[in-house]
Amino acid sequence: MAEYGRDCRAQPFMTSGHGSAQASAVLTAEGIGKRFGSGATAVTAIDEVTLSVKQGELISVIGPSGCGKSTLFNIIGGLITDYEGEVRIDGRRVSGCHPDIGMVFQEESTFPWRTALENVEFPLEVRGLPAAERRQRAQQFLGLVGLTEFADRYPGELSGGMKARTAIARTLAAHPKILLMDEPFGALDEQTRLLLGDRLSQIHRELGQTTLLITHSITEAVHLSDRVVVMSYRPGRIKRVVDVDLPRPRSSEIIESEQFGHLVASIWHDLREEASRGLAADEASRRSS
Amino acid sequence: MSRAAYLRLATLLLVWAAWEALARSGLVFQGVVPSSLTVLASAASELGSSNFYPHLWRSAEEIGVGFAIGSAAGVGLGTLMGVAVFLGRMAHPYIHVLAPTPKIIFLPVLMILFGVDIGSKIAMGAISAFFPVVVATYDSVRLVPPVLLRVARSFRASRWQTVVKVYFPSMLPAVVTGMRLGLGVAIIGTLLAEIKLSNRGLGFLAIQRYEGFHIPDLYAVLLIIFVLAVAANIAIGRVADRLQRRHVISRRTPSR
Ligand SMILES: Nc1ncnc2c1ncn2[C@@H]1O[C@H](COP(=O)(O)OP(=O)(O)O)[C@@H](O)[C@H]1O
Ligand SMILES: [Mg+2]
Repeated sequence: MAEYGRDCRAQPFMTSGHGSAQASAVLTAEGIGKRFGSGATAVTAIDEVTLSVKQGELISVIGPSGCGKSTLFNIIGGLITDYEGEVRIDGRRVSGCHPDIGMVFQEESTFPWRTALENVEFPLEVRGLPAAERRQRAQQFLGLVGLTEFADRYPGELSGGMKARTAIARTLAAHPKILLMDEPFGALDEQTRLLLGDRLSQIHRELGQTTLLITHSITEAVHLSDRVVVMSYRPGRIKRVVDVDLPRPRSSEIIESEQFGHLVASIWHDLREEASRGLAADEASRRSS
Repeated sequence: MSRAAYLRLATLLLVWAAWEALARSGLVFQGVVPSSLTVLASAASELGSSNFYPHLWRSAEEIGVGFAIGSAAGVGLGTLMGVAVFLGRMAHPYIHVLAPTPKIIFLPVLMILFGVDIGSKIAMGAISAFFPVVVATYDSVRLVPPVLLRVARSFRASRWQTVVKVYFPSMLPAVVTGMRLGLGVAIIGTLLAEIKLSNRGLGFLAIQRYEGFHIPDLYAVLLIIFVLAVAANIAIGRVADRLQRRHVISRRTPSR
C-alpha cells in the first residue's frame, strides 16, 4: 500500500531553474543515481546516469538483467521519487508522474476484467472523457496496434503479443509526448518480437513520439533505435552510446544487412563483459542463499 | 455428460437403492428409515400446505438479512484491513482465531443481546457469514497485482478511482468465493439457532416434526432444506464462475 499512498496527484511537477540541456532535448536525465537498502546489503542500482532524448527520437537502453534498467524507467516515469539527480521535461524539472509521460511496463499489465477495448479506455476514463469519445479514441488506438478484431476479447483470451500490444495502445491513447517502454516484448519469442518491432517502428513514424525503449535484445535495439545506450552492470552506468545510422524507414529485413551485423557485433563486444559479470553475480548470490 | 457426472449420478442412485432396500428389508424400524416414496409424499404434502410457507419465508428472511449484513461488514472491514496496514496487523490475528470457531457458541450471548425472536437468528446468520467474507476480502486486497496499481498511478488515477477501478474488480472473484462459503455457513448458523430456540422457521419445523415423532415429515423437511441450500449454492456459484472466467490470466510464457 505504501506504493499507492504516494498519490501522484499530490505532487504535480515543479519548476526549478532553467533547462541546462540543449534546447531540442525533450527529456533529460542528469546524474541519476539510486541505492536500494542500507549498510552492508545496500545495492547501487544505478549511478551517474545522464542522457537526453531529442524531440521525436527513439533511444534504446540496453544492459544485462539487474543493471538497473527498470529502476531508471521508474525514476523517469515518476514512480520512484527518492533518487539522486534530476529529470527534466522541456528543461523543467519534474517529480512524480507527469501527464506528458506514458509508461508501458515490463510485466503483464492489462486489466484481466476488462476487454481489450475497455483496457485502452482506462486512461480516458480517469480523465473523465465522455463515453462516446472514449470509445472512439480507444478503437482508433487498438486499430493502430492491429487489434481491431479483438476489441471485445478479455486478456485471458489473448496471446502474449496481443496483450503487450493492448498495453501499448492503452498508453498511446493517453497521448503522451514521451513514451517510456520497459521491455514491452520481453516475454515474446524472437520472431514475434521482430514483427511487433516493425509495428512499433511504423507507429513511431506515424505519431513521432519521443521514445525511450528499454530492452535486453541487441537486435531489437539496433532495429528500432536512433541511438543505443549501453549500460554497465553494478553499478549501472552508461558505458557507451552507439549511433545507429541505418536508413529509415526500416523493416526487420534490415537484420540481413552487413551494417546491421557490424552494429550488433560492436554492441555485443561492449555488453559481453557486463553480461558475464551479471551472470557471475547472479550465480554467486544463488550459491550463498 | 462427462464421466464424473455419470459417477455422481450412479452414486446417488446407489445410495437411494440402499436406502430403499433397508426400508423394505424390515431390518430397521419403519419409523426410523421410511421408504423414500413415503418421504416424497410427505414433502409434497408439506409443500402443498399453507402452513409451510410462513416458516419458509421466515428462514429466508433471517438468512437473507443476516447474510447481507455479515457480507457487507466483511467486505468493508476486510478492505479497510487490507488498505490500512496498521489496522490489518491489529485485527488479523483475532479474525484468524475466531474464523474456525463454531459460531453457535455465541448463540446465548446473541439471544441476550438481540432477543429470542428473529433478532438473534439474523445475528447468528450475520456473524456466520462475516468470517469467511472478511478473510477472503482481506487476502484479496493484498493479492492485487502491484503492476496494476503502478499502471493506475502512471495514468494519475485518484485514490478513489484506483479503489473503484483497480482494487474492487481485482478483488471481486475472491470475495464472491468468500461469500459463497459465507452463505453456506449463514444457512447452517440460522437453522441451528432455530432448532435451539424458536417458534418459526424451517429449523423449528424440523424439530417440531422430530418431537412429534413424524419421521417421514422430518425427512421431508430436511430434504426441502437440502434442495433449497443446494439451489442457493448453485445460484451464487454461477455468478462466481462468470466473474472468474474473465479473470483467467494466462501465465506469461514466451508465445505469440
Ligand atoms: N525495490 C527494490 N528493492 C531492493 N532492490 C531493488 C529493488 N528494485 C530493484 N532492486 C535491485 O536493483 C538492481 C536493478 O534492478 P532493475 O532496475 O530491476 O534491473 P533490470 O530492469 O535492468 O533488470 C537489481 O540488483 C535489483 O535487485
Ligand atoms: Mg527490468
